[in-house]
Amino acid sequence: MKSLKFILLIFAFVFINTAFAPQKQLVNDFSLMNVDGNKVSLANYKDAKGFIIVFTCNHCPFAKLYPPRLNELNNKFKPLGVPLIAISSTDTMMYEEDTYPNMVTKAKEEQFNFPYLFDEMQTVAKNFKAQKTPHAFVIWKENNSWVVKYSGAIDDNGMESNKVTETYVADAVNALLNGKPILTKETKSIGCQIAFRKK
Amino acid sequence: MRFNIFCILLVISINCSAQHIQVIKFNELKQRVFNQSDTTYVVNFFASWCAPCLKEIPAFLQLIDSSQNSKTKILLVSVDFKTDAKKNLEPIINKYQLPPIYLLDEPNGNVWINEIDNNWSGAIPATLIVKKNKKRKFIVTSLTYPKLIKLIKLIRLIKLIR
Repeated sequence: MKSLKFILLIFAFVFINTAFAPQKQLVNDFSLMNVDGNKVSLANYKDAKGFIIVFTCNHCPFAKLYPPRLNELNNKFKPLGVPLIAISSTDTMMYEEDTYPNMVTKAKEEQFNFPYLFDEMQTVAKNFKAQKTPHAFVIWKENNSWVVKYSGAIDDNGMESNKVTETYVADAVNALLNGKPILTKETKSIGCQIAFRKK
Repeated sequence: MRFNIFCILLVISINCSAQHIQVIKFNELKQRVFNQSDTTYVVNFFASWCAPCLKEIPAFLQLIDSSQNSKTKILLVSVDFKTDAKKNLEPIINKYQLPPIYLLDEPNGNVWINEIDNNWSGAIPATLIVKKNKKRKFIVTSLTYPKLIKLIKLIRLIKLIR
């Protein structure tokens, strides 16, 4: 009798745990055109443990503050198996500045050391639930799927990089690399809305 | 002499802009709009660099005009970068003949964005319509004047039902 109670208790515990555990956000691989004319997919990176995916664009003044910091992140984490990929999903009908040729120019001017992909159909932004630029995600490989581990700001001060005290993205990646829990999984920051085209 | 006139003009212009842009912290904004008064607050978050935000400014100006002597207050809150806010905001203030606006002095959005709305990522334009801190509507798309009027009426309706 006692053991039956015990088993029931375990069942209840498992049930509660699964029912109330936060849902994992999974994202799909994609194939998008890079500024060098080649298509890029996550599957291209055989040894990647995870990725830093940053939805950004040319026109947004908030996004314009970050290219040097994105280069730095890629420099630091690509050798550790966590490359950075930037994606532009803005509606180019609204912002001429964000067209593919202008992306090519921007990547050259700012010397991007990472792929800068054109999400023309905005499907990748929708899949990630990216809402603005810049909007960063840290995704990690678990059982052959890509799981969102962090979503939000790159750090806590867009305007003045010398006054940054919280490096959210770098902290999340470091935690994952060291098998430690991520302290801040989601943050908010001002940015330019990614306006999704109506069908 | 010329220099004197220049100085006087400079002082006047600095004073004008000082009256037009009031720098506030989030806590001050909170006290201003989340209170128990009978007023419906319409808080529009915008920036000089945000094109869709500028597009909806005329709608807010029309609302300000039509809301005089009513219990609706409209607050235009800029989230411009503080360092070059004055330079960037002044042409917009002049162009649209804006009433005094607020400049939110909070470089880290993560400390205040959730308090406006839990589901807000921080994308602008964004508008909060709030009364007595309980009845809220929060919209993250460009608004038109008729839509604004509709939303304010909705907030009042909530009051009637209660």
